[in-house]
Amino acid sequence: MIRYALAVSTAVALLATAACSKPAAAPATPTHPNLSGSWLPIARAGGLMPPLNEIPLTPWAAAKFKAERPAQGENQDFANTTDPSLKYADPNGYPRISLHPMRFKLIQTDDYVYQLWEYNQNWRQIALNVPQDPDPALTWYGNAVGKWEGDTLVVDSVGYKDSTWLDARGLPHTQDLHLVERIHRMGANLAFDITFEDPGAFTKPWTAHLMYKPSEDGSMTENIYTISDELRFRERFLNQKVNIPIRR
Amino acid sequence: MRSPISRTFVISWDLGFGIWVLGFALLTSTPALAHHGAASIYDMSKETTIKATVTEFVWTNPHVELGISPSGGATTELLLELGSPPNIRNRGWTSRVVKAGDVVTVTFHPGLHGAKIGIVVKMITADGKELHA
Repeated sequence: MIRYALAVSTAVALLATAACSKPAAAPATPTHPNLSGSWLPIARAGGLMPPLNEIPLTPWAAAKFKAERPAQGENQDFANTTDPSLKYADPNGYPRISLHPMRFKLIQTDDYVYQLWEYNQNWRQIALNVPQDPDPALTWYGNAVGKWEGDTLVVDSVGYKDSTWLDARGLPHTQDLHLVERIHRMGANLAFDITFEDPGAFTKPWTAHLMYKPSEDGSMTENIYTISDELRFRERFLNQKVNIPIRR
Repeated sequence: MRSPISRTFVISWDLGFGIWVLGFALLTSTPALAHHGAASIYDMSKETTIKATVTEFVWTNPHVELGISPSGGATTELLLELGSPPNIRNRGWTSRVVKAGDVVTVTFHPGLHGAKIGIVVKMITADGKELHA
């Protein structure tokens, strides 16, 4: 019996040795472009988003847009703005935060791509090769999943709070907003082709083409902005009365 | 008592030049507009250049603040705004580029309706360094 047990254990050991000595399969070599780095928007006249007449607003969205008082643009009313990112210092939401003339970093790993914005030090994560959550929590920056299609990272995101504006003009959306982004290199630059689907706000899908250039100075300046900052500015520059304690 | 080295200066132009200038301004002034547009609180058709004493330089959000005293005092008589810290850092500004007591020459768009505010176009430090907002 002992001899039998020894024989079996010897055989198992030999098999294990043979298995270990067999060359392991080489890990797949990533063939995707490297999107990591620091990026700055490439400014263009009229802003990064398409002109309003190219955006197919539903009657609801058109009326909401008309009622807003943005702090910029043709009908700007900074003193009495309804911009939630100024009135409440709300996070910008997406893609508005990527429209600032400030840097963002992309950090690419096997499982996630992280996007870190200089503005307010906000960030989002894009989970790779996982299915979209059918019932995501509503958040400022949505639930984003991505996969590679050749040299393009295709990102699908849903679950956006409807209180954010899509841009500083006051472009509205509902909580059914669905974004499909195609992120790819264009020479040294980085392109984000973002398709907006939202039956409540848009009569048909439309696409914005945003371009970013590498930022040679990759360091990110802390740029955290609070409601106290906003109210202090309004008190000093607009003589607006402040009804809550703020830092002066 | 220091006196302004130039008076309020209103640019006049023909239409073509005006459109070119406006287009250029839209392109180049975008960073300063990240927080708010300037036209609802400043007279963007006017530029004023004065020599003044810095009373405060606050590196803060949403806009860096430059307080000046054209009369050379220590109290802010005119409050000017710049871009946000990351934006003007890209143009060479730092939090210590000027301090209270420095004498600078600053060009700005003045506040509407006589408000004692403005938005900086450029500043020349006492040692001749020219910084654009």
